[in-house]
Amino acid sequence: MTGFLLRRLLPAVPTLLGVTAVVFATVALVPGDPVAAFLGPGAPPEARRELAERLGLDQPLPVRYADWLGHALTGDLGTSVSGQRPVVDLLLPALGQTLVLTAAAFLLVLVGGVALGALGALRPRGPGGRISGALSTLAVSAPQYSVALLLIAVFAVGLRWLPAGGTHDVFGSGGPADLARHLVLPAVAAALVPLGLTARVFRAALGTVLAGELADSLRARGLRPAAVLRHCVHNASPALLTIGGLQLAYLLEGVVFVETLFAWPGIGRLLYDALTARDLPLVQGGVLVVAVAFVGVNVLVDAAHAAIDPRVRI
Amino acid sequence: MSALLEVDGLSVGYPGGVRAVDGVSLALPAGGALVLLGESGSGKTTVARTVLGLPGRGAAVTGAVRLAGTDLRALDERALCDVRGRRIGYVPQDPGASLDPLRRIGPQIAEVLRRHGSATGRRAARAAVPGLLATAGVPDPERVARAYPHELSGGLRQRAAIALAICCGPELLIADEPTTALDALVRGRILDLFGALRADCGIALLLVTHDLAVARRIGGTVAVMRAGRVVELGPAERVLHRPDHAFTAALVAAEPGARR
Amino acid sequence: MSTPWLRRNLGLAVPGTLAVLLVLLALAAPLVAPYDPAAGRLADRLLDPGSPGHPLGTDGQGRDLLSRLIWAGRASLTGGLVPVTVATVAGTLLGITAGLGGRLTEQALLRALDVLYAFPGVLLAIAVASLLTPGLGATVLALSVVLTPAVARVAFTEARRIRSSEYLEAARVSGAGRGALVLRQVAPVVAPVVLVYASSLVGLAVVYAAGLSFLGLGVAPPTAEWGAMLDELRPALLTHPWVAVLPALVILAVSVVFNTLGEALRTRVGDGAAHLPRAVPAATRRAAEQVVR
Repeated sequence: MTGFLLRRLLPAVPTLLGVTAVVFATVALVPGDPVAAFLGPGAPPEARRELAERLGLDQPLPVRYADWLGHALTGDLGTSVSGQRPVVDLLLPALGQTLVLTAAAFLLVLVGGVALGALGALRPRGPGGRISGALSTLAVSAPQYSVALLLIAVFAVGLRWLPAGGTHDVFGSGGPADLARHLVLPAVAAALVPLGLTARVFRAALGTVLAGELADSLRARGLRPAAVLRHCVHNASPALLTIGGLQLAYLLEGVVFVETLFAWPGIGRLLYDALTARDLPLVQGGVLVVAVAFVGVNVLVDAAHAAIDPRVRI
Repeated sequence: MSALLEVDGLSVGYPGGVRAVDGVSLALPAGGALVLLGESGSGKTTVARTVLGLPGRGAAVTGAVRLAGTDLRALDERALCDVRGRRIGYVPQDPGASLDPLRRIGPQIAEVLRRHGSATGRRAARAAVPGLLATAGVPDPERVARAYPHELSGGLRQRAAIALAICCGPELLIADEPTTALDALVRGRILDLFGALRADCGIALLLVTHDLAVARRIGGTVAVMRAGRVVELGPAERVLHRPDHAFTAALVAAEPGARR
Repeated sequence: MSTPWLRRNLGLAVPGTLAVLLVLLALAAPLVAPYDPAAGRLADRLLDPGSPGHPLGTDGQGRDLLSRLIWAGRASLTGGLVPVTVATVAGTLLGITAGLGGRLTEQALLRALDVLYAFPGVLLAIAVASLLTPGLGATVLALSVVLTPAVARVAFTEARRIRSSEYLEAARVSGAGRGALVLRQVAPVVAPVVLVYASSLVGLAVVYAAGLSFLGLGVAPPTAEWGAMLDELRPALLTHPWVAVLPALVILAVSVVFNTLGEALRTRVGDGAAHLPRAVPAATRRAAEQVVR
């Protein structure tokens, strides 16, 4: 088991190093002189040199990268400029909120994507296939911020059915029902693009299996249509899993807009606030956490793929 | 006498005006062998698939297909499902593509046994699998039952596919180019297995091939097909050695190593 | 032009015409827009769509929204089309270099691309754009960085495919130089595939560009841009929802037009896996390509 995990994790290491290097580069390449910015112009050269030394800025870039990486590995991502708090203390609670929203959206993506894709695969030439294709194109083309604004305008402002933002009702007692009411609109807004993509890929995968020799030979064995379909879905599921891993990327990048527009206190909202405040350490911390989470999810997807498909097991 | 399989004036057309099979009539006695011989595109596979009731999307079928007197064309899809796998076994061309790659061999066979009521209960079905694999000539059937298709050689995979086709004791076995994906050595052994199944279990064989050598080895009756029609029909001995029809003669003459 | 021809090509003709019209409308903004997009009368602020003289209403500073939306097409479409063009050129060059170069070049380039793949698109764009002064230039540069790896991957696959093919071998044996080889043999094969793929990126790029402006990293006020307008009109959402959603609707419609066009082109050419708009970790993408193929 350990060997199996190691084989899955090792290839991700160079990618992770690269990701951290890119994030570090955005720290190191910030235009302007941080020392001058801190001390103000006209500071004596000794003071400048002393501060540069204290910040480690006199070291060559690779050394500074190693140093920064060491701190990042121990959970030290620096201090937020605007909040004057450690970046990690701001990121962790926000990450929890984002995971709640992402999980809800992911559920929608899976259910909707599978249903829409199956409709297209089972009726490739009929009206069902056309509807499936048109709806997936529409979903794929629906930017999260557009959908979010339209949903707020219609369901919160116009019809007053659902709240326009927040995670819970400040005056209410809260509870799961209240959370669900607040989750519906942001989850739908975040889910549409990945839902459309999932539908397309699942449609293609299931369609290929259904038209292939395996489906034929299952029918020739006298299996009932429901059983044939079940086995075909099983055989299309590795594709679903693969695409599911990708969808997390779309969900994670979508939350920047969705959380901002729905005032959801997650990583995306934090990133937006950090961007408006030009709080670079917080921006970099947020980008790093999301990118690392993304790489991690892909390792998990790989492992799950191996669990479903014996041909991938090594 | 009444044949086990009777195909009468069978025609199959596809959208776009393609006529894949055009008025084909065939008969196969119980325990007999019938080889459908022809080039690719001659309609021989379509005949085999139409007998199974799987002519494909949008096919227009006319004519009759009778299995031991039962008109298969009159059956609804539900009743046909009961015939497929139980009374007619099907051996596909490429076992690599037709076995479920995500499941072990054993459960795949057990599933068909339970579907057709040849075994009641999970345990009984699982217990029957090694014996069936052995009938299909699989050495070490216990190990093969636990294997995934990709872990087996091409020959073993085809034997597993044959075990799947015969597991419910069918009267008829339809094999579509069953040896094309195999190398020469394994090919002969698989063809001998079909002979053994005929002799020992009385399973009639309808075999589709483009290969004269395969047709010769199977024997029985040969039907030569071209452009959707049967151009020559008769005992293998006569058709393959003293062909009446010019096309069959050309086919025989074109065989590598043919005596001229 | 006979009727059957038109019917057969309707899926391509409709979105194609709409896309050309969108570009023309943006180019002709000074001629077609009824008002100055930057000048507004405070007395006319936040009029609802359908108001006399202002068919789509006005914004918080009393500026005519129809005029602003038309003018905004210039910055927004530039923000979508230019990065795709840059990425197409840069990605093709990188991809062919990796595909035809030695093992070391190939590995180095592919590794670097994998790292860029590992970032969700918007995040990479944010990381790059946050280093630059907000503006159209920042949008173009950031999105070029985001899109180039995806194009390079497609060009690489194509170049790889023909590298081993016989006619390239034949050309090499007949003594053609490296540059001539790429120009005459490789480019004509790679170009159509890359162009079709690139066309499917335009919709995404427009959406990303507007998104960056919405986040304050792209085009800044008072220049009209769809994403920036989205942000400007946001305070009006609760009081004048129909004014506030206008830019959102425009971006949605433009995205649908370009995606439908890209899809129609792809169906025509019959490319399988290119419908994953922005790519992803290499292994995952390869798996998806296998499945789709």
